[in-house]
Amino acid sequence: MSRGSNAGFDRHITIFSPEGRLYQVEYAFKAISQSGLTSVGIRGSDCTVVVTQKKVPDKLLDSSTVTNMFKLTPLIGCVMTGHNADSRSQVHRARVEAGEWKYKFGYDITADVLCRRLADISQVYTQNAEMRPLGCCMILVAIDPQLGPVLYKCDPAGYYCGFRATAVGAKQTEANSFLEKKLKKKPALDLDKTVQLAISCLSTVLAIDFKAHELEIGIVTKDKPKFRTLTDAEIEAHLVAIAERE
Amino acid sequence: MEKHFTDSRVKGVSTGTTILAAVFDGGVVIGSDSRASIGGDYVSSKAINKLIQVHDRIFCCIAGSLADAQAVTKTAKFQLSFHSIQMENPPLVIAAASVLKELCYNNKDELQAGFITAGWDKKKGPQVYVVSLGGMLISQPVTIAGSGSTYIYGYVDAKYKVNMTREECLQFATNALALAMGRDNVSGGVVNLVVITEAGVEHIVIPGDKLPTFSDE
Repeated sequence: MSRGSNAGFDRHITIFSPEGRLYQVEYAFKAISQSGLTSVGIRGSDCTVVVTQKKVPDKLLDSSTVTNMFKLTPLIGCVMTGHNADSRSQVHRARVEAGEWKYKFGYDITADVLCRRLADISQVYTQNAEMRPLGCCMILVAIDPQLGPVLYKCDPAGYYCGFRATAVGAKQTEANSFLEKKLKKKPALDLDKTVQLAISCLSTVLAIDFKAHELEIGIVTKDKPKFRTLTDAEIEAHLVAIAERE
Repeated sequence: MEKHFTDSRVKGVSTGTTILAAVFDGGVVIGSDSRASIGGDYVSSKAINKLIQVHDRIFCCIAGSLADAQAVTKTAKFQLSFHSIQMENPPLVIAAASVLKELCYNNKDELQAGFITAGWDKKKGPQVYVVSLGGMLISQPVTIAGSGSTYIYGYVDAKYKVNMTREECLQFATNALALAMGRDNVSGGVVNLVVITEAGVEHIVIPGDKLPTFSDE
């Protein structure tokens, strides 16, 4: 039957296993956790926030050149979690897709369309023998002109979805449970509350007392829809606010 | 130096035109008339925009075949936005001019469009570049182009001074365009001006009846 015929290649390339699994896609998900980092994204009432850890493993590294936050268009930003090189490749592709859309159709691409496009591209990798899926996951943030603040995630399986809050990475299960609990009552979150909730999520789940330079925070707000990352001073202000609350 | 854009070889709508750009102390003024004509006989549009924004602080004015110019500036806008996102910095004015030059030079057999690129960037401040028909790129403090430009070379040579103030430069540009529009039959309409400085971009439109008049009018 099928057990003998694919001669065990189902673990090596993206073809189905007899149980109906794509092992390569599952391994891609494991690769995301390999980086050891966790990222969190939360959609507030007038803003969307993404936070990730900034781990600089080597003392010789120039930390100002290390980042996982990228601007895809002036209005759409993202945080990448997982394999660094694959992340850069996906960011580059996203930028090209966004630029070509603007050129062809004359208006800016929206975050949901861009996310869907990247997910469709990722799906192709799950069907091609000659290409492996990318070992990274992208969380996109934007202020959509019609929908307001939006948060989207696309993964190596080619699945994408909009979220109220989501986490990706090594501790994503714990972080997602934390977020589910905190957002159960559907609280109204302004910018400060959203940022501080995201930081608290990471520090609770990872049991780390963060310093400003160990975090990267990217935000989009309704009154300043351009994607930007917070400076160390701004992050410090939020950390102080969290400490004072406790 | 500049070809006459009223050549009957220019098929379709052309911008028999007058365009100019000039650097002043702290910024650059870029300006044009607003007439689009077909073959020098028929005004197809009285108020078109020949000042195309290719990035936040970089504008381009177009001369020649409108269709060619629009296609080129659209492509340049796309390439520049991608370049700027990748560099994570606003693009340099020379980058914008070079993109246009590459497009003009590599497609010189098909295209008939010339450009003046002007803008402000952090590295060199206000700059003006001209990309001519065949794809030559040079930098000048003041430059004029289009069919109407032939009538104002004398005025520009005599009246342009380096390090003018913003008001002096605006008056200079308005006078130059008004003089050209007064003599060139394929330039006319309103005067469109854009002032680009570090702080931002300001559009000024001067309708035909508010243009400066000269001794013969």
